[in-house]
Amino acid sequence: MAPILAISGITKQYGGLVAVNDVSFDVEEGEILSVIGPNGAGKSTLFKLIASFVKPTRGEVRFRGERISGLAPHTVARKGVVRTFQETTIFKGMTARDSVIIAHHLRSKAGLAGFYLGTAAARRDEATFGRSADEILEFLGLRAAANEIASNLPQGSLRALGVAIGLAANPKILLLDEPFAGMNHDETRRAVEMTRAVRDRGVTLLLVEHDMAAVMKISDRIVVINFGAKIAEGTPAEIQKNEKVIEAYLGVEDETIGV
Amino acid sequence: MTRPARLATLAIFLLAVFVAVPFVIGLTGRTDFYYTLSSVALLAIASGGVWLTFYIGRINIGQGAYALMGGYVSAILVVRCGFSFWISLPLAGAFCAAASVLIGLPILRLRGVYFAMVTLVLTEVVRLLAMALSITNGAKGMVSIPSPGPISLFGLTIVPSFDRFAERNEAFYYLSVTIMCLCFAALYRLVNSRVGRLFVALQQNEELASSMGLNVPALRVLAYSISSFFGGIGGAIFVAIAQSIYPSSFTVADSVNFMLNCFLGGLGYVFGPMLGTLVLYFGWDLLFQAGQYQLLIYSGVMIALMLILPNGLLSIRPMSWRKRGRPLVWRRS
Amino acid sequence: MEQVVANGLYLGAQYALIALGLTLIFSLMNVLNFAHGQMYVLGGFVTYEIYGQLHLPFVVALAASAVTLAILGGLIERFLFRTVIKRSVREESTMLLAAGVAYFLDALILLLFGEKQRGVPKIVSGVFVSDNLIMPYDRILIAFLAVLFIVAFILMMRYTKPGRAMRALAQDRVAAQLMGVPVEFYSLVGFALGALLAGLVGGLLVAITGVNSGIGGPISIKAFTMVMIGGAGVIGGAIAGGFILGMLESVGLSVLHAYGDITYLVIFAALMIFLSIRPNGLMGKPWG
Repeated sequence: MAPILAISGITKQYGGLVAVNDVSFDVEEGEILSVIGPNGAGKSTLFKLIASFVKPTRGEVRFRGERISGLAPHTVARKGVVRTFQETTIFKGMTARDSVIIAHHLRSKAGLAGFYLGTAAARRDEATFGRSADEILEFLGLRAAANEIASNLPQGSLRALGVAIGLAANPKILLLDEPFAGMNHDETRRAVEMTRAVRDRGVTLLLVEHDMAAVMKISDRIVVINFGAKIAEGTPAEIQKNEKVIEAYLGVEDETIGV
Repeated sequence: MTRPARLATLAIFLLAVFVAVPFVIGLTGRTDFYYTLSSVALLAIASGGVWLTFYIGRINIGQGAYALMGGYVSAILVVRCGFSFWISLPLAGAFCAAASVLIGLPILRLRGVYFAMVTLVLTEVVRLLAMALSITNGAKGMVSIPSPGPISLFGLTIVPSFDRFAERNEAFYYLSVTIMCLCFAALYRLVNSRVGRLFVALQQNEELASSMGLNVPALRVLAYSISSFFGGIGGAIFVAIAQSIYPSSFTVADSVNFMLNCFLGGLGYVFGPMLGTLVLYFGWDLLFQAGQYQLLIYSGVMIALMLILPNGLLSIRPMSWRKRGRPLVWRRS
Repeated sequence: MEQVVANGLYLGAQYALIALGLTLIFSLMNVLNFAHGQMYVLGGFVTYEIYGQLHLPFVVALAASAVTLAILGGLIERFLFRTVIKRSVREESTMLLAAGVAYFLDALILLLFGEKQRGVPKIVSGVFVSDNLIMPYDRILIAFLAVLFIVAFILMMRYTKPGRAMRALAQDRVAAQLMGVPVEFYSLVGFALGALLAGLVGGLLVAITGVNSGIGGPISIKAFTMVMIGGAGVIGGAIAGGFILGMLESVGLSVLHAYGDITYLVIFAALMIFLSIRPNGLMGKPWG
């Protein structure tokens, strides 16, 4: 089966600095693939390149065979490649529910004029969005927080809200930006469960993450980046034994790399 | 506000505007107030446009450009092409909207002070254009522009000819106030609809909005073109009332005033610009008594206002209103 | 041809000084000094009074302009802008304050100095004449002085402690604060310096083109245009913007005058197109 996402030779250069260097890998439909690497390895630049928030210097990203690198971010989202943000990126003044409802907009059948005039199609959309938003919020355990202003929510809820917003945009593949960052053991466990549940809804997942333990538990496959280049790719078991990976993380506790 | 409360407020407002004001003016014989209030109305419309650009998170100091543009387009259509005002009015607005799409596409990428700087220059550009082109009659301006004609449909007169009014200022008053109400009704509907929510998303976080598939550049241009449409309408009405237009009819100072009107009335309220324009216009008019000190006092008060209420009238709202999440306050971009 | 270039350079030097003042204020405080043009006018009038009316030496008059504007700038920053910036979360407030200050100064200048165009006696008489070039000596002197001030400014910003402090402040306010730079003090100094520069050019140019109370607004717009061309918040950008505008004006006046007074129209139209390609100007830091 053709991969849902094909990243080939993607490179990003800022003047003399090469942030991402000729990275290639595929993401299979329905899998959970994690991109890991030490701090400063270029993960976040790679993430932005894949989500088309940054234009590559060379190389391309194809979604289901169609080239998406270099397209406007909203176009890429509409095709089904949706990214999340770290929890500081929210609609500060809106309630959680409103944020999720807005994120449904790309599913609307009615046009803007329809929404302005309040046509039947628009009203149907609004009803659908409302129901869907409630379902997503429930799914992610945010029902209690639904009518809270986003800026009042605790960090954990904001993470979940980010995923909720991502899901609302009807993704085929969801790109998660450090979903486990700063979580303690319990929180990580719950987040891992939630992530699996999202995949079980039929959404392929690509994570960029630093927390090795969580990544080892949840990923079907892992890609390791260091100094902007891919140094390893494989299943968690393979990666743990990979010498280059161990070397990259040299000096790090065994526990951290999930041994 | 609850629904009944809102309807009541609307009813009171309409009564005040369409019944009470003419009544009082009739009693006191101060028909010059008709002219004053007409000016307030058309300036409020232009300010409403600026308010909408604030709504998507841009500081627009260029509305004077579109007021001037709209005024000239309307004047040219009426004088040189023989159009009726009722046709030239929407056309003027449409022309401004179209021009603003061209202008907005490149400049809306800018934010904050950068965007403001560029819009500041816009008013000058239109003024210079008006001076330079022959179609606008250059520095001499255009005068003796006929007042709006009647509208009749199926033999019934909907709008009588303005010359038939005993007091032409009264006719202009009804004209401008009616259009103002229509404009603000449209604006109110806009921000309370899904489109308005999209604008809010845009203003709160453009990146996040992009990631959910919102076509951010297109939405920005949409808001800006509606805003400029209002500017053009305001200018066209001005021409109908003043029956003349010059390159200096709208200046950079007017653009700044539109912004000030919004700020004073409260950037979180749709009807803020109306209130702000009313207060500031009467304030300026009142200060006419002060003769040569008019501008000094006016600007002194403006400065004092910024010192005391740097967040606009918004900051005087009782705490309980603020917690509900509307109206929305935004931070520095 | 040489004439056009010479005129352009002469104008450019003056404009660069104006742009430097504006960009300094902008980079330190994120404030667009709408009153910059009015400060220029005030500087011109002070020089007019001291040199033209009191017949004191021109240098003294220039110094007086500089000092007056520095004090005024300092007061404005300390009592007006600092208060508003501290208390407001909105950018519009500072902008409206700046607009209010501009109007206020306009009104004040009109009241104090009247609306007549004022000029001063030539500071140096005589004209330089060559085959291709006619340039009055006073213009050459003024241009020379302007360049001198620009160089002094650059040197000051690079090598003196206040200069480095202000540059640190412009780059990263929080970091500068953490490093112990007294940010409030240097904001004041910076604003005063920016105002000083505006007043200085006013004093310089009153000796050539005179001054009247109405040109404040147009000068401000020219200043903004320069900053838009060259890029805001960058010294090099301000200088580039100033010289480019000076050159464009000179070229435009000689080439386009057949078509009427459309020089600035062409400049603005070109600016809009230029901004579509490079929204941050030639050297500006990306904003937004």
